[in-house]
Amino acid sequence: MNLTEVWNRVRDRLRRDRLTSELDEELRFHRAMLERDHTDGDSSPREMQRRARVAFGNATYHRERARDVWSLGWVDDLLQDVRYVARGLRARPGFTLAVTVTLALGIGANAAIFSIVDRLLFRAPPMLAHPALTNRVYVAQSDRGREGVWPGMSYARYLDFMRLTTSFTRTAAFSAATLAVGAGDDAGEMPVAAVSASFFDFFDAPPALGRYFTAPEDAPPSGTPVVVLSHALWKLRFGGRADALGATLQIGPVIYTVIGVAPAGFAGLSPTQPPAAYIPLSSWAATSGFQGSPGDEWWQTYHWNFAQMIAERKPGVSVAQATAELNTASQRSYAVQRDISPDIPPVERARPHAIVASVLAERGPNESRVGKVATLVAAMAVVVLLIACANVANLLLADALRRRREIAVRLALGVSRARLLSQLLTESVLLAVLGGVAGLLVAQWGGTVLRTLFLPKDATSSVIGDSRTLVIAGAAVLIAGLATGLAPVWQSRRADLTQDLKAGAREGGGTHHRSRTRAVLLVMQGALSVVLLVGAGLFVRSLLHVRALRLGYDVGPLVIVELNMRGVKLDSARAVMLRRQLLQQAQALPGVEHAALHISTPLWRTLDGRNGIGVDLRVAGIDSVERLGEFYLDAVTPGYFATMGTRLLRGRGIGEQDVAGAPGAMVVSEAMAKALWPGNDAIGQCVRVIVYSTTPKEPTCTYVVGVAENIKSQRLSEEKGYYYYLSSAQFHPQQGGVFVRTRGDAATQVEAIRRSLQALMPGASYVTVTPFADVIGGQTRSWRLGATMFVAFGGLALLLAAIGLYSVIAYNVVQRRHELGVRITLGAQVGDVLGLVVGQGVRLGVVGIVIGGMIAFAGARWLNPLLFQESARDPAVYALVAVVLLAVAVIASYVPARRAARVDPNVALRVE
Amino acid sequence: MASGKRDLLPGTLDMLILKTLSVSPMHGYGIAQHIKRLSRDVLQVEEGSLYPALQRLRQRGWLKAEWGQTPNNQRARYYTITAKGLEQLGQEEAGFGELVAAIQHVLRGAT
Repeated sequence: MNLTEVWNRVRDRLRRDRLTSELDEELRFHRAMLERDHTDGDSSPREMQRRARVAFGNATYHRERARDVWSLGWVDDLLQDVRYVARGLRARPGFTLAVTVTLALGIGANAAIFSIVDRLLFRAPPMLAHPALTNRVYVAQSDRGREGVWPGMSYARYLDFMRLTTSFTRTAAFSAATLAVGAGDDAGEMPVAAVSASFFDFFDAPPALGRYFTAPEDAPPSGTPVVVLSHALWKLRFGGRADALGATLQIGPVIYTVIGVAPAGFAGLSPTQPPAAYIPLSSWAATSGFQGSPGDEWWQTYHWNFAQMIAERKPGVSVAQATAELNTASQRSYAVQRDISPDIPPVERARPHAIVASVLAERGPNESRVGKVATLVAAMAVVVLLIACANVANLLLADALRRRREIAVRLALGVSRARLLSQLLTESVLLAVLGGVAGLLVAQWGGTVLRTLFLPKDATSSVIGDSRTLVIAGAAVLIAGLATGLAPVWQSRRADLTQDLKAGAREGGGTHHRSRTRAVLLVMQGALSVVLLVGAGLFVRSLLHVRALRLGYDVGPLVIVELNMRGVKLDSARAVMLRRQLLQQAQALPGVEHAALHISTPLWRTLDGRNGIGVDLRVAGIDSVERLGEFYLDAVTPGYFATMGTRLLRGRGIGEQDVAGAPGAMVVSEAMAKALWPGNDAIGQCVRVIVYSTTPKEPTCTYVVGVAENIKSQRLSEEKGYYYYLSSAQFHPQQGGVFVRTRGDAATQVEAIRRSLQALMPGASYVTVTPFADVIGGQTRSWRLGATMFVAFGGLALLLAAIGLYSVIAYNVVQRRHELGVRITLGAQVGDVLGLVVGQGVRLGVVGIVIGGMIAFAGARWLNPLLFQESARDPAVYALVAVVLLAVAVIASYVPARRAARVDPNVALRVE
Repeated sequence: MASGKRDLLPGTLDMLILKTLSVSPMHGYGIAQHIKRLSRDVLQVEEGSLYPALQRLRQRGWLKAEWGQTPNNQRARYYTITAKGLEQLGQEEAGFGELVAAIQHVLRGAT
């Protein structure tokens, strides 16, 4: 069949009605001619007509034959099936609704979660020219026997990598920052990407306006203050006008000149948090607060790991080859570093190497726990879809059994089996399409909820507007349609015509082996529900553990005040004065209980003594304090412990007397006291605090004045670090921010505090005031997410399983009405019948629980790292789930069982 | 009568229609009559085959259909062969000639 013919056939099909009437006219003409030619003069007109009719044959038959030519074979059959099925579905609104809603939940959940997982794990950043060749480069190094992997490296390391490798077409360095954009009232903190000029070469994204910056504009020491705006910021701040080029815009402390606008949709490498603007890496590095010294400026030092690296491999260079080359480069770079700083461990101990990973951060070695939970949730969504499919298959099966006689009659009338099968499949696919459409609505709504949970900063389009998600939803529809249709089709394959025709209303005979398929589907549903519910239980317990955890400080009443100087330079005395004023102002506010200065923030930004700000401790009798572990420090004002709610176990906190010039005072954590002075009282001990940059090598004693309870400073799950507190007046008084303890709910007072304190800020500088709960909320997010999603999906699964069980038992009860009637006639009691029917449901439930429990138990190892102080094999959770599922099984079968027990034997037996 | 009429060999109807139309445009009834007459009443074209065949040939682009007037001023649909149809006719005639020759060879050999 060539194209012309296909085209003609389709065209004919569309104008079939006209063609038919034309054909009718043609046939009438033919007949008229026959009549004329059969006229022989002597016969009567009636006889002539008769002869013509005989010669002409069956007119309708001719017409139908011709019509076949301009119909489209299977397409028309399909349309006919669809119409037939649609009629059938309209006649059974309850059934149709049940199936549609079930599938909508399954398909919708999948589409919604796919839109998240796709963004995190699969979709390359928009406009990236060669996603398959582009990699993020991570650096890895061993420290005290533990290997660490970081996305950030020093600029010097990046330059070494560039110099020492030939595997790459291009490389770029970048850093993500949150900076104040604009000045005055317009100023707001936004994500900004600081990138090397080569960054833009990775993309196939010509600027919407102007140009991108060039390598000379990104040269150390401080580059040129030029900025490329994101399309969104250009619209927002410049109304999308071309005269934005040449305009100035303050970002952070620097005033930049706009030279270009990125195209709409361009989001660099972070589509989930699109940068508002792109500035030269050099201009950012030079003004971000790094204190360099001659010979150790930001582009020379190996200590400041702020740059992330991407690289595009040359075609034909494998990831393994690139990694090997970078590993060699890492070692040589490390050797150069060691020449400068001989005190770092030798290369054999540090074992520096590189990891060449996906351009998507969530697929790299530093994937977040949220990413893992998202993957898990996606797996859950698939399970929910499976359960939904099983449920729908069950409903269809019940329906097919109900219609067995109808099907038998149609078979007897000569409908081909193939046609019948195609009708059954058409029905399930049509139902799946209905479910899919409804599912997209679910996904649209659910996707919004999920995105705020998983990707709070993502501003991208909806589920319905996203072609990839639509494709997945379409695939889910198709799979669901075929999968659910399969059961009834398989069933009808065995249809026994005579048996079915004879069977009559009771439909005895082969029912038993047929309900086995349904039982298998039910057990599968039950098992999958158990798996999800076990997951839900484990995550809920984890979340409870996290909530119950004693952090060593309070979270709810605290707000954190950060100072952002934006290039306003204050000398040391004025910086100290400013902080003092802010503190006094905050303490004077109504609704504020306590306030204190600090330079570390637990769980967010703690100062690592040695690696962070170059502070070492010396204690008599200990060779190397640093060997004992990681030490974190804070410098605080009096009232800090009251502000935080951290308990002092012994001695006192930092007090008013610990001023500059007075003997140094220090409060240590309980663990630190035990580690440094085991068996001795820590109070009064002398610690020499060595600050590499300033102090003489043998500083005076700082005396331990108190021991505070341990706090969670690095992570919730484990705390290996030691924590100590110095007096703010004696250590870095010109740095840090304010912790404020409010009375009652912190969130309600944020704005009042901000307004009051902002009044004290000089020039373009400003304060940000954030509830502490928001700052460390990310720490508990993954468990909260896991608990929410598992409970939601587990509940959904349980509901579906309950409906499935109910419908099967109810159906069986109807089927066995006769048998039950006989039993009751023969003297069976209500309890016997109840027991019989409920027992059936419970048996199915128990099998489901056992199988599901085994699956969950086997998968436990995989779930363990995502839990908090909770074994994935916690017997309590398994027991609870078993009880819940059993209860559901009993309830779902009790309702139909009651009906069975009320069977009137007279009626039941007379049905025959 | 039964001995006087033959069923068409499968596939030959299309060729006969095209051949008929290569003489002049004709309506369906005319085509049937023409074939009947030229075959001396041996080949009887069933209307149930004729009209579907005409539609099929039209869909393949071998002939065109237009409404026109008969000499008696009756409205009838006239079929005209296209260039593509003529080309097709040539091919089918050649193919049929070979087929007939081959069949005759077999028949002669068998006797």
